[in-house]
Amino acid sequence: MYFQIGIILTIMVMAYALAKWKKLSIELSMLSAAVGGGIAGAFVSTPPIDQLARHLVEGAFTYLDVILVFSTATIFMAIVRESGGVNYVVRGTIKYFYNLRIIALILLMIIVLIPGALTGAGSVSLLVVGAPVALALGYLGIAKKRVAAILFIVAGLSAAAPPVNIWAMILSAGTAIPYVGFELPLGIPVLLLGTFTVLFLGWRRERKMELEEVLKEMPEVPAGMSWWRVFLPFLVFFGLVVASRLWPFSIPMLGLPLQFAIAALVALLVSPKRIKILVLSRDTMKRLLPLLATMIVVGMLQQIMTATGVRGLLSFAVISTPLILLFILLAVIIPVSEGVLTYGAAAIIGIPLIWFLDSIGLHATVAIAGLSLLWPLGDGLPPTALIGRLSVMVSEYKDSYWTFLKATWVPWVIITIVGILMVIFSARLEFLVRWSM
Amino acid sequence: MPRILIVKSILLLIIIALMSVAGVQLYKHRHFRMPVVAGPGVTKVEKLSDYTKGLKGTVADTNVFHLEGKEEGGKIFIIANTHSNEPAAILTALIFIENAVVDKGTLIIIPEFNNSAGRNTRPGDGYPLYYEIQTDWGSKKFRMGNRDASPLDQWPDPDVYVHYPDKQLLSYLDVRNTNRTWPGRPDGPLMEQVTYGAMQIMRSEKVDIAVDIHGAETMFPVTNCIVAPEKSIRIATMTSLTVKAREKFDNHVELSPSGFRGLSHREIGDHSDTLPFLLEAPLPFLDQPTGPKTVDLLLDGKDPFLLSLSKKKKLFVPYDETGWPMEKRVGQHCSVILEIIRQFSRKFPDKAIKLRNVPRYADVVKNGVGHYYRDPDKSDKAKVYFN
Repeated sequence: MYFQIGIILTIMVMAYALAKWKKLSIELSMLSAAVGGGIAGAFVSTPPIDQLARHLVEGAFTYLDVILVFSTATIFMAIVRESGGVNYVVRGTIKYFYNLRIIALILLMIIVLIPGALTGAGSVSLLVVGAPVALALGYLGIAKKRVAAILFIVAGLSAAAPPVNIWAMILSAGTAIPYVGFELPLGIPVLLLGTFTVLFLGWRRERKMELEEVLKEMPEVPAGMSWWRVFLPFLVFFGLVVASRLWPFSIPMLGLPLQFAIAALVALLVSPKRIKILVLSRDTMKRLLPLLATMIVVGMLQQIMTATGVRGLLSFAVISTPLILLFILLAVIIPVSEGVLTYGAAAIIGIPLIWFLDSIGLHATVAIAGLSLLWPLGDGLPPTALIGRLSVMVSEYKDSYWTFLKATWVPWVIITIVGILMVIFSARLEFLVRWSM
Repeated sequence: MPRILIVKSILLLIIIALMSVAGVQLYKHRHFRMPVVAGPGVTKVEKLSDYTKGLKGTVADTNVFHLEGKEEGGKIFIIANTHSNEPAAILTALIFIENAVVDKGTLIIIPEFNNSAGRNTRPGDGYPLYYEIQTDWGSKKFRMGNRDASPLDQWPDPDVYVHYPDKQLLSYLDVRNTNRTWPGRPDGPLMEQVTYGAMQIMRSEKVDIAVDIHGAETMFPVTNCIVAPEKSIRIATMTSLTVKAREKFDNHVELSPSGFRGLSHREIGDHSDTLPFLLEAPLPFLDQPTGPKTVDLLLDGKDPFLLSLSKKKKLFVPYDETGWPMEKRVGQHCSVILEIIRQFSRKFPDKAIKLRNVPRYADVVKNGVGHYYRDPDKSDKAKVYFN
């Protein structure tokens, strides 16, 4: 069986490489790998040929819920931007905090942390507040490359931050560990690492401008725009999220897509200028299409990898690794798995890994928290690079993707070390779980 | 026509063809009708909606089989397919429905507890759509379901599931998982209504014992075991010791954690007088590090990766070249349930339950699971039930 699966894996890699060589996009290259692997597998009935179409189509729906969140959140933010709300917020931030640099940086970090912490998706942070925060950071004199780097790291940390951490939830559900006691094991490192990142990357001022000069250079705000017009849609969105936590049994279950849609409607109604909503929605979806295509194809790839046994082989390789080597390799395995499979990585590699770590006496909750710091780093790695690509998009950084990624290396290494140490010393850090409950 | 347009048109046609083929297969899977033959012991068949009206007319409604003895006694409630991707549960429940004769007390069985999950697939996990069990009269086809109810039946999901009534935060997916939605409520999401219906059965029928049948990964510590809360732990322990001594298979006892909410083995005991037990048999198919997810792996549980990991002592159950065949898993469930009944009857003689015609572990291993199923084509049509 090792040989059979090895051949299928080789064909998948070759199909991917061939597609890249033919200069096809990442999405089409991954699709080629999925189809190639599926056809190769069908020769040995894994999966049977009459099931291949079903596996490809079924896999395409794996991340439908995430796709709906992305779509509605991005349209919501596009309306806020089109109404002039983004420019208004950036102007306000600069006006009040331009000369209080540390406070301004930490405030902007917290603004990015909140949406992701509430929804478990760093992408939501970027889609909701990424663009205005990027502009604000830019006016604080930070180069676009570093702005993108800050957004990428902090948005990733926001996804790991409590109360909602999807990786931890998937792992908790899959390992029958209650999703409780994560507040301090996740909250403390996220705040410390976020502060370090934003100060380290944002400390250096590339250019110094006078406040008046900055304000003059900033885009004009439409007449009639005010704080309440900007904040009301956000208030509605966060109000719906918080209300569903506070009164979960008396409020109808709306779900994030509808919550974003309602907030978008409010943003549309309070906009001081008329917005052509259909044109804006069409353009937004066009911009989002590569990201959505990635999510669809990752699902297909994941399904084919499972049906052929490739996924099992990879999982087996991780579990079979000697302990010390495993701890070291976590720095590579976890981000790379996220880059290939996004949330699927938590199930494929995370679940058996946590069972294994638990069985050797480590504390599962703290170990999950430690791994949760490493997974978001993978959202900057190809082929998916979900958060990385969004960070580049919202910060309007135009140069090479790799140059942007290189700018993140110091926080990346620090986060990796903290995450791995949390796993290794999870038993000693068990008090954080107790204090959280 | 420009070349790019031709390429796009061809790709579109291929996609339409793929979606049509897959769509028909998935439609058939969702609407597949699996017959259950009511055996000689079945005295009435109700619907879960008879206990909570909100389920009427929904996919979540499901058959409830009653096997009542002539003599009054205790009552046991068996729940299968709480997770519809753990097939030993429904296979065990059908053995009881199609064979058991109750002399004293009552046996209530729901073979397809999460009926919506039974009609769902698991995107990303590459499951087969069906599996077949060989019987003495041919093969009996079963639908492979999912752990969670279908979003077609319960949607949208919240961003995080807040458990009722404890407000513990659980994964958003767990809102569709009927082993996280206990004890449920009559006006909650559909799966909370399903568990509420089951709670109503236990309260209104004054059920003494509830058994929720599951399967779990070999790499999961809580496998091959009986999970029980404090109030059931003595009977669980006696059961475990007895099957080990008499029938030579391991089935250890795990204490139900009080801080983990929504599970049957915790909430049933906390919200009713019933003694809950959750049975786990090893299910290698669910393990992550396995070869292809085939029907063979599902039924015989043989996998070279797991064998290798077993040699490295990374599994929580004994594992060799014979894998974990379905006969062993179903046989264990049968024997453990019979032993729980026996231990309960010894402890509470005034509420004793007596039943016969249900095979034990050695019988199922020897004869195969399918040996105990009746041919629906040759049975009285009035006794063949579909969900």
